[in-house]
Amino acid sequence: MNYRPYLLLAELTYRCPLHCPYCSNPVAYPGGRELSTEEWRRVFGEAAQLGVLHVGFSGGEPLGRADLADLAAAARAAGLYTNLITSAVGLQRQRAAQLHQAGLDSIQISFQSDQESLADQIAGTKAHAVKLQAARMVRELGFPLTVNVVLHRGNIGRLEQIISLAEGLEAERLELANAQYYGWAFANRAALLPTRSQIAQAIEVVGAQKKRLLGRMEILFVTPDYYSERPKPCMNGWATRFLTVNPVGDVLPCPTASAIKGMSFENVRTRSLDWIWNRSESFNRFRGTAWMPVPCSECPMREIDFGGCRCQAALLTGDANLTDPACALSPYREKLTSFVESMQEDDTASLGRLSFRQNPK
Amino acid sequence: MIAMDEQSHPVLARGVRLRNDPITGEPILLFPEGVLPLEATMHDIISRCSGESTVASIILALAGEYEMDQDTVRQDVCEYLAELRQRMLIAFSK
Repeated sequence: MNYRPYLLLAELTYRCPLHCPYCSNPVAYPGGRELSTEEWRRVFGEAAQLGVLHVGFSGGEPLGRADLADLAAAARAAGLYTNLITSAVGLQRQRAAQLHQAGLDSIQISFQSDQESLADQIAGTKAHAVKLQAARMVRELGFPLTVNVVLHRGNIGRLEQIISLAEGLEAERLELANAQYYGWAFANRAALLPTRSQIAQAIEVVGAQKKRLLGRMEILFVTPDYYSERPKPCMNGWATRFLTVNPVGDVLPCPTASAIKGMSFENVRTRSLDWIWNRSESFNRFRGTAWMPVPCSECPMREIDFGGCRCQAALLTGDANLTDPACALSPYREKLTSFVESMQEDDTASLGRLSFRQNPK
Repeated sequence: MIAMDEQSHPVLARGVRLRNDPITGEPILLFPEGVLPLEATMHDIISRCSGESTVASIILALAGEYEMDQDTVRQDVCEYLAELRQRMLIAFSK
């Protein structure tokens, strides 16, 4: 079978002014120099050749790259649709206008909550007021706006107010992203995991608000896998539609794959993207269904959920080859369930003790 | 479904691009984090969402082109435009 990547996540830098305790960045950063403007330009060209249509500029905080406008222009020149995934800290009007001129297509701004005090507590810095200002300015310049809010125990109770915030900012889209428990979020999961009643309440609020905002704002929300019977179809299958290039040039099937012990990944400095996508051991390792163990290999859902997430299997069982423990058919599900159950007693909806994301040394 | 004013002018929402897929040559819509492949009928409708034509005139033009009765075409066009609006891919100007 031929696989074609559609989306390239370009993690431009690990540096970030925020310290969110659920950051998807690795807890242990890889060494090496950040890719240069020229190296990224080559990556965008190679990605477009492979069939990639979208590039998301991410990080860390991509605004930390002084050459961001050049990178946006280079990606546009390669024919890619360009999206900036940002905290908006550092997005002054002049910078945004420069990005607009470079052809940047859209902007996604993260918010930590609707309340300044809670939002700044989660971000580990004063950022909320700056974000509001930046979001309004982005609209004035004519960018489409997506608001992204990572949900957890500390803010999921404020869903209605969070939706109103995005509505007030006239965002086209609101992504309500339940925290995914990898990396920093895994280290903090006992503090972050919402309770079952919080999730039930959230589903109700989202349903009602989706209806109310039909035709004005699209709301995206997926039930978190810790509370599902079936695993998520992670990345639509390993190395099937997505690829990530991290700040130092390692090429990954997803942003968290570098944490899988025993796997090594190729680098754009030594191999072409085409070779990595089509021929590398790492990208072919979990493609298709041949790698699957029981119960996945016999499961009618195997081409729907692809056995779930390899990173989560590695994280929770120590073996990336096993069924994702979020699946009710996994022998490890019981252990995950008992963790989930242990989180139900404390319904105070307050954040526990968090370890905040640190920048690379 | 979203109510449709047939005198309004549908137009691609900001940040939405209509282009051909460089690999397959087929028309697609690109928007933040999404791709929508367009079948022939969809493409016929979307390519008329330039902000110049009203919903009513798009229906009229397509009914002529397909040699179909207007009511059938109206239903398809309105349903499809409502779906596109739901995903925030088009806007309506007066």
